[in-house]
Amino acid sequence: MIEQLKSFLPRRGGGAQIVPERSVAGRTLLLMITIMSFLSAVTLGGVVLVQKSAIAWSSDVGREVTIQIRPVEGEVMESNLRTAVALAEATPGVAAAHALTLAESEKLLEPWLGAGLDLTAIEVPRLVIVQLADPTDADIEGLTRNLGAIKGASLDTHAAWRQQLNTMAGAVVISGLMVLTLIGIATVLAIVFATRGAMASNREIVDVLHYIGASNKFIAGEFQGRFLSIGLQGGLLGALAAVLFFALVGMAAGNVLSGEASAQVGVLFGRFALGIDGILGIAAVVPVIAALTAITSRTTTQRFLAETS
Amino acid sequence: MIEFSDVGLRYGNGPEILRDLTFSIEPGSFHFLTGPSGAGKTSLLRLLLLSLKPSRGRVTMFGEDVSDLSQDRLLQMRRHIGIVFQEFRLLDHLTTFENVALPLRVLGQPESEYRPNVTELLEWVGLGERMNALPSLLSGGEKQRAAIARAVIARPKVLLADEPTGNVDPDLSSRLVHLFAELNRTLGMTIILATHELPLLDQFSYPRMLLSRGELVIHD
Repeated sequence: MIEQLKSFLPRRGGGAQIVPERSVAGRTLLLMITIMSFLSAVTLGGVVLVQKSAIAWSSDVGREVTIQIRPVEGEVMESNLRTAVALAEATPGVAAAHALTLAESEKLLEPWLGAGLDLTAIEVPRLVIVQLADPTDADIEGLTRNLGAIKGASLDTHAAWRQQLNTMAGAVVISGLMVLTLIGIATVLAIVFATRGAMASNREIVDVLHYIGASNKFIAGEFQGRFLSIGLQGGLLGALAAVLFFALVGMAAGNVLSGEASAQVGVLFGRFALGIDGILGIAAVVPVIAALTAITSRTTTQRFLAETS
Repeated sequence: MIEFSDVGLRYGNGPEILRDLTFSIEPGSFHFLTGPSGAGKTSLLRLLLLSLKPSRGRVTMFGEDVSDLSQDRLLQMRRHIGIVFQEFRLLDHLTTFENVALPLRVLGQPESEYRPNVTELLEWVGLGERMNALPSLLSGGEKQRAAIARAVIARPKVLLADEPTGNVDPDLSSRLVHLFAELNRTLGMTIILATHELPLLDQFSYPRMLLSRGELVIHD
């Protein structure tokens, strides 16, 4: 497949390669570019996974607000709950509202207070879950204002949670981009050294090309062709390894955790499924690495030739 | 075609390797450049190849003063000059055909265009049967003929040869010089052939440029 791809690379005049394949420190550079591509693709895939999970989580949390009614002396809780549900249902942009029953509230507190809890013996705040039809159009301010009529009622829009989640996701994305940048810089530096080494070891070819009237541009193009080929192969191998890595990690996560635990982890942290956008992102690593390799080697070659001419 | 006027050459701050060179080369002529080792033959050839600039004096080639040429113009002029080296300098990973075709590839010609010309030239220099052989499989004489073919395939106006017979036996040396003579006669190429083999010069009646300690002592 790589040989087929290489056949599409530009060749001048259709003849044999002027810069021999073996002379460009091929294997070492290929391995290095493969590793760099793999790291880039894994970082990119990780960023895509985190971002997708954060967006999904934020979207789910954003579609729901909670009315909390604290017990107030002289107030009838059940009546206040009904009023709150009615006020919520009358608010524009609200799809549905329902008060949590005592049994549901007990279940919510079970992790902290243990099973077999009897809430009738304790005065605890009660919750009304409000589902929003469209979070952007819902009249949250109006609902907050109207809830002022119910003593002890307050509205939690989970804004702080969402803000924190978005900040965390943003930090992960920025960290990922910084890692990608560092990998890119390391790749460029490695290619610069490899190109200068290749130029020095192919000095005879460069001299002959100069003597027969080749321009620096032509010589740089010949070296660029070799490095583009190596970059393309390394990028492809690294990207394939990254896709395989995500597939294996996804399978391993599914096998290690029980069905229920796996579902909960999936809800909390997202699944290790890259999706089409993740796959496309990783696929984009291949031409980017190849182009980076070709451009870097061409620039380095031209600079080297200008210095030595 | 080529004019040197009071030309001197030094490398860096070292002594002058070439001094007070004044001569002219007419189009279509054949000259032997001779002198003992270290006389400056290779340096003079490098000046003629435009890979060095004179430290002083004036060099005119093809009607242009070469001292202030741009890189692009220098490259264009260099394409009118062919060069043959003593050590052949063929690219080991390319076949005879590919080595000879190299100057045409550099000029951007497609293989379909240059293949007939390269094949014809290789047959003319007696390498028709060795077109697909790598240089490592060629004899010294074959390598030099391939190097000559590479130097002339793009039809340069001037052909320089730096000790082209240095690595072959006397009989083959004579045949190689006859090949240069044939190129000069049939293609009208100006040829400057550097050699220190005096018996070889005696076989031909071409004018000689004798360098001694960087000075041109004879130019007949």
